[in-house]
Amino acid sequence: MTAERTITIECLRYNPETNAEPSYVVYRVPFTDDMSVLEGLQHIKDALDGSLTFRWSCRMAICGSCGMMLNGVPALSCSTFLRDYYPDGLRVEPLTHFPIVRDLVIDQTDFLRKLESVSPQLAPAQPKTIAEGPYRQTPAQMDAYYQYAQCINCLLCYAACPQYGLNSAFTGPAALALLHRYNADSRDDATAERMDVVNADVGVWGCTLVGYCSEVCPKGVDPARAINQNKINSTKDYFLHLLTPRKG
Amino acid sequence: MNLIETDLVIIGGGGAGLRAAIAAAEHAPGLRIALVSKVVPMRSHTVAAEGGAAAVTRDDDTLASHFDDTVSGGDWLCDQDVVEYFVAHCAEEMVQLEHWGCPWSRKPDGHVNVRYFGGMKQQRTWFAADRTGFHILHTMFQTSLRYPSIRRFDEFFCADLIVEDGRVTGVLAIDIGTGDPTVLACGAVILCTGGAGRVYRQNTNAGTVTGEGMGMAYRHGVPLRDIEFMQWHPTALPGTGILITEACRGEGAILVNKDGYRYLQDYGLGPLDPWPRPKAMELGPRDRLSQAFWHEQRKGRTVETPGGPAVHLDLRHLGARKIHERLPLITEAARTFVGIDAVKEPIPVCPAVHYTMGGIPANVRCETPLPGLYAAGECASVGIHGANRLGSNSLAELVVFGKVAGERAAEYALNASRAPVAATTAQAERAMAPLRRLLEGNGERVATLRNAMRDAMEAGVGIYRSEEGLARACEQLAALRRRYAAGVHLDDRNRAYNTEWLTAIELGYMLDVAEAMAHSARARRESRGAHMRLDGFEARDDERFLRHSLAYYGGAAPPRIEHSAVTITRSPPRARVYGGAHDQPVLTP
Amino acid sequence: MAYLHTHVRPMQGWWRRNPFYRRYMLREVTALFVAAYAVELLVGLVRLAQGRAAYEAWRAALATPPALAFHALTLAAFLYHAWTWLEVMPKTMPFVTVRDHRVSDRAIVVAGVTASVIASIALFVAVRLVIAP
Repeated sequence: MTAERTITIECLRYNPETNAEPSYVVYRVPFTDDMSVLEGLQHIKDALDGSLTFRWSCRMAICGSCGMMLNGVPALSCSTFLRDYYPDGLRVEPLTHFPIVRDLVIDQTDFLRKLESVSPQLAPAQPKTIAEGPYRQTPAQMDAYYQYAQCINCLLCYAACPQYGLNSAFTGPAALALLHRYNADSRDDATAERMDVVNADVGVWGCTLVGYCSEVCPKGVDPARAINQNKINSTKDYFLHLLTPRKG
Repeated sequence: MNLIETDLVIIGGGGAGLRAAIAAAEHAPGLRIALVSKVVPMRSHTVAAEGGAAAVTRDDDTLASHFDDTVSGGDWLCDQDVVEYFVAHCAEEMVQLEHWGCPWSRKPDGHVNVRYFGGMKQQRTWFAADRTGFHILHTMFQTSLRYPSIRRFDEFFCADLIVEDGRVTGVLAIDIGTGDPTVLACGAVILCTGGAGRVYRQNTNAGTVTGEGMGMAYRHGVPLRDIEFMQWHPTALPGTGILITEACRGEGAILVNKDGYRYLQDYGLGPLDPWPRPKAMELGPRDRLSQAFWHEQRKGRTVETPGGPAVHLDLRHLGARKIHERLPLITEAARTFVGIDAVKEPIPVCPAVHYTMGGIPANVRCETPLPGLYAAGECASVGIHGANRLGSNSLAELVVFGKVAGERAAEYALNASRAPVAATTAQAERAMAPLRRLLEGNGERVATLRNAMRDAMEAGVGIYRSEEGLARACEQLAALRRRYAAGVHLDDRNRAYNTEWLTAIELGYMLDVAEAMAHSARARRESRGAHMRLDGFEARDDERFLRHSLAYYGGAAPPRIEHSAVTITRSPPRARVYGGAHDQPVLTP
Repeated sequence: MAYLHTHVRPMQGWWRRNPFYRRYMLREVTALFVAAYAVELLVGLVRLAQGRAAYEAWRAALATPPALAFHALTLAAFLYHAWTWLEVMPKTMPFVTVRDHRVSDRAIVVAGVTASVIASIALFVAVRLVIAP
């Protein structure tokens, strides 16, 4: 066993009961080559400072709990490794553009509201009974929406999106990608019902194609594409309703 | 103490909890439903399940076949009446999930595809690439948003059940964000809190899988059934325990030792060819595969890795196309966590604790021995897994019994007479007191006690057990419980979002459940399924032990172990045999 | 979920915090150059309408050293503007499939750049041969 190395992890701390402002605390953490940043934080909590607070669960980049800013870049702490920040060390902060609840934990309630607002349920034109079995869907049809269905709700895209940071009324990348996931699903027929969300100023038009969301997404969802291809749909919808006014 | 008056409380927002909530909302539209979870539902551990969910689908498959595979897979410790109900209702639940949008993988003609899984004679595992749990969970979570009667309490930590006059009348929960205690007064509770795999060091489980749901029921007099049966998944990454799905083997991957030898043929799972074929070699049941690893390690034929001893899971012959299409998640995991490209190199794997077969006893209506308390999912022992669970039966269990629990508990809550809220609240105050003392006390660090517990479990209650090892584990756990009871030292004394305090509460329950595991294992003087002994009890003993274990909480004293009958209907116990001959290899198209 | 008190971090200087954002702002700033050049051409059109002398004066103004420097900067801005526009073009389109294979984003960008280069050269050659030989 070679001599263990030590790395500096600087964490943004904030305690709503005692602090007015967040501040940084530095920890020195012994690490091995295969240790993730999450494991580094767990070491701090277990051995150095039990009050360091952060979310985590699956440890394998599928639950979406452990999103944080690592040297100013949104990332999942469970699948980023301390060895890649050695010897300079790293700074860990909670995801930007969200209010801080405590230390590295952010308030995700706005996102949950956004998620609900896009009507993320399958609404077939002719609903089948269970006895009639599954809907048919070819691999090609699934391909049309599949990547948008990979979102783990980790919120890295919201931390990446400056438009969301400047105006939190913006529906945002993940929610709009999920909206598109349902629109593009051949079994769904509720695209028209979702247009109000799409067409809004805080819908697809709140996006200026910075594109950082797709860059940081750990699952290749490409929310930038989901949003921006819907600008075409939104425009078509606008002119369609200009010529043939919407009923009711 | 905040008070929430509701009708049905569902603790846990994973596959079982969400299915129960939706079922309850549909069954009883006026019912007030509280879905309480210590994490936002899409973080629940269901999300990490990979391989698939079983349901009889093909024309050449039968319910009897699924029944037989499950009962023999469980080494005849299953309650066969419940297994009969289970296999008959899997397919309709898979269709329901599809109707809700679940992106099941398809054949070229657009019909749902099914694949082989360990211990199953026929292809019947529905799958969504290798992220089936993720898709099932997100589908149900998004669907659940449509029901206004489901009120969610996200990041509320359920710390105790409120039991009055022998029935459940409420739940004590802590609002994590503020630390405020909350009592939810209700007519019925469904526990959907998952397993307890985190009592071991090497496990595939998320940090949330700490068993306090089971622990709560246990402390209120509900026995833990068959809790000694813990499943080691044979293929996890060494060190982290990150899961590499059985679906790899379902697609044809092989396991080789350090000499490149497919060692499973030495353990009654051969012959080698043809490959793949069901119930043989790498598609044998998980307990047998994990036990084979243990033997290989003893013989010095495993590979040394930084995370510990391992064998090689070789996917290379499947080809890049199939690997990327069918197994994208594990390909990414192998690359991220061990730097292996599965297309070019074999993946190092070893067994890790994965699933808790035992738990809170529940009948086919998901009723537990405590009136008003229902249980579904991994936290329950509904009787389908017996001594060893077959892969893809667990995701199916969540939705089949989630629905049952939701409907039954909703019925119960509609008709239950309600206890006066003042009394329930007073009881909750009393239950909160020890938790406040924990926050303010002093003693050892949580991590110290937790690591000692894990070491004790790995050493004494592992894949193979002996009287000596189990006795030592029982002693060590008793000592740890005493040390815990003396108090823990928390660096964090705040109220708002105090996760250190919550891990201390979890630890208390984990120690109780771990002790129940060790004592139940010691009392079972036979080998069956995932419980294997080396101390003269190497054989299955149907005469004395074709019985469920029941561990009853003893307070500060060790648990009392009793045994109860197993329901046998159509399948009398016989020898549990895998391997054997077959005509030709069969691949999932 | 209820919280005692959350802390909101300010957005001031957000674009300075990350190289990705700085490139984005640069991309957006090039639009100002595009607009400025459009105004310049519009002025030229007005001068043309005002007669030969006015037009020649405008042409002469364009050849002064400060004007040439502005044009060099504007050309660079246009090139960066065009490049970044083509770079994000795949994000504005639905998937393109050719014979069951999805056309990659990279292929779309390469096609776009190639088409732009060819069109620019063709236009330049056409102008030199036909309009101003």
